[in-house]
Amino acid sequence: MESELKINPKLFEEFLQINKNIIDAPNLASALDEINLEMTPYEVVYSEDKVRLLHFTPLVQKTVKTPLVIAYALINRFHILDIHPKKSWVKNLLNQGFDLYLIDWGTPTEIDRHLGFDDYVNGYMDNCIDFAIKESLSDTVSLQGYCTGGTLSTVYTSLHPEKVKNLILTAPVIDGRRDSTVVANMAKHIDVDKLTETVGNMPPEIMYYVFSILKPFEQGFEKYINFFKNIHNKEYVDNFIRVEKWLSDTPPIPGELFRQWIKDVYQENLLINNGMYVGGKQISLKNINMPIFTQVAVGDHLVSPECSMPIHYAVSSTDKTLRVYPTGHVGMIASSFSQQKVLPELGNWLKERSEK
Amino acid sequence: MTVSREVKKSLSEYKHTSLFWTDLLYLMSSKPQSLMSVGPFRKMASNAKKISVQTIEMNEELAEFNSRLSAYYKQLSDTWSQAQEEYNKKVPEIPNDTENIESSKRIWIDIFENYFTRLFDSPEFADNFGKLVTSELELMGHWNNITSILLESANMPTKKEMDEVYKELYSLRKRIAKLEKIANKEGS
Repeated sequence: MESELKINPKLFEEFLQINKNIIDAPNLASALDEINLEMTPYEVVYSEDKVRLLHFTPLVQKTVKTPLVIAYALINRFHILDIHPKKSWVKNLLNQGFDLYLIDWGTPTEIDRHLGFDDYVNGYMDNCIDFAIKESLSDTVSLQGYCTGGTLSTVYTSLHPEKVKNLILTAPVIDGRRDSTVVANMAKHIDVDKLTETVGNMPPEIMYYVFSILKPFEQGFEKYINFFKNIHNKEYVDNFIRVEKWLSDTPPIPGELFRQWIKDVYQENLLINNGMYVGGKQISLKNINMPIFTQVAVGDHLVSPECSMPIHYAVSSTDKTLRVYPTGHVGMIASSFSQQKVLPELGNWLKERSEK
Repeated sequence: MTVSREVKKSLSEYKHTSLFWTDLLYLMSSKPQSLMSVGPFRKMASNAKKISVQTIEMNEELAEFNSRLSAYYKQLSDTWSQAQEEYNKKVPEIPNDTENIESSKRIWIDIFENYFTRLFDSPEFADNFGKLVTSELELMGHWNNITSILLESANMPTKKEMDEVYKELYSLRKRIAKLEKIANKEGS
């Protein structure tokens, strides 16, 4: 009996091509350690323990006197805001004439396990903002917080409203009860006291696990197939490697800060209910009375829009703007869409409300 | 899924028997041990009992951990089967030609993504995951205790002692920062 094995020639050709691409890959792509994520030049103007305040070198003549201080998230490093020249949040704002500072939280170690919200907000953040005010000869700053940096910025502004002229919150973690993401689901069920008591700081491995269950098939499977398919596209490969390097650099979070964040924001939902205490003071969102701009993304699978949007209604500001963008958590800050839509809107809003 | 009462009972009996013999052997051997081990080695010998207690207690946690881990893998494999079943139902609808390879892959990814996201979003998954991590932390706690006993025997600082140093440094750093702030205010 004769059997005939039928192989689709197109499928076979594709299979051979992807194998060839895998073999060629090391010659066409850099290893993660070989690339440097630092893009736009900056100067470290202030540092305290592991925290650094970066001041970006202006690219054009400054058109806005009020400095803009960005409080980056506690998860991963700030490099995503300057990941690629064509998608750089930082570069875009500099080109719009802003005087730009950024707080880099650094990489905490075991010695930092007792640092909490009070140390971050009333210590590091307050000192960085004081420095920016003094150096720029201004009375106030515009403050932008991204993701968990948005939570810190909200708490900071509630405690020090006199230092913040404008508040910009980009995908902030505010109302944990309404957050419908996988991240929130896990956060609500974790014994955070036992975790911090046993291991000290929040280990990055837990974050890597959480990343792995967000779109596991697209991110864990399809992404890599597409990488090998596009191995000859220099720009695609460069962007892919840079983002992968950024994703794989997750510093630990100081134990006490993580404990308070999970308990007060996700498990007991104290922040939105004005029941959170930092440094012995109650965090009342009604203290936030300056212009506020809230940016959320419909496709955000790390911080759902329902978690961020309540801040818009909870503050006492009369000048407030809420924008909902058709993109994702990272897409809102590092994509062509953010360059074309999110950043110009933010720039215009901020220029109208800043000291010239 | 949790450890059954029978398993808990037999573990508790095992713990009792192990501790009984550990204690008795320790008592029986302590006199000759005292004679034979002098100086710092005496400390190591007396700490041996503490290590066996930790090891016995770890077995209890291990049962809970295994049960949570089995439940975790069961959730994953059940979800995989359900997703695969749905994909199998869809396959006859997709034209069997080369142009549709890409769409077939897309459908597979979408179905699996939906099923698994639903699983990861569910309170049942998060509840078991939380308990799995807790039981892992319990095991880690015992391992930390064993390491501390060994470090103590070798006259080295334990994790607890190091944490006291960290706490002290933390409060010193905080006091210095406060003083610096006052000094800066008075200076300006």
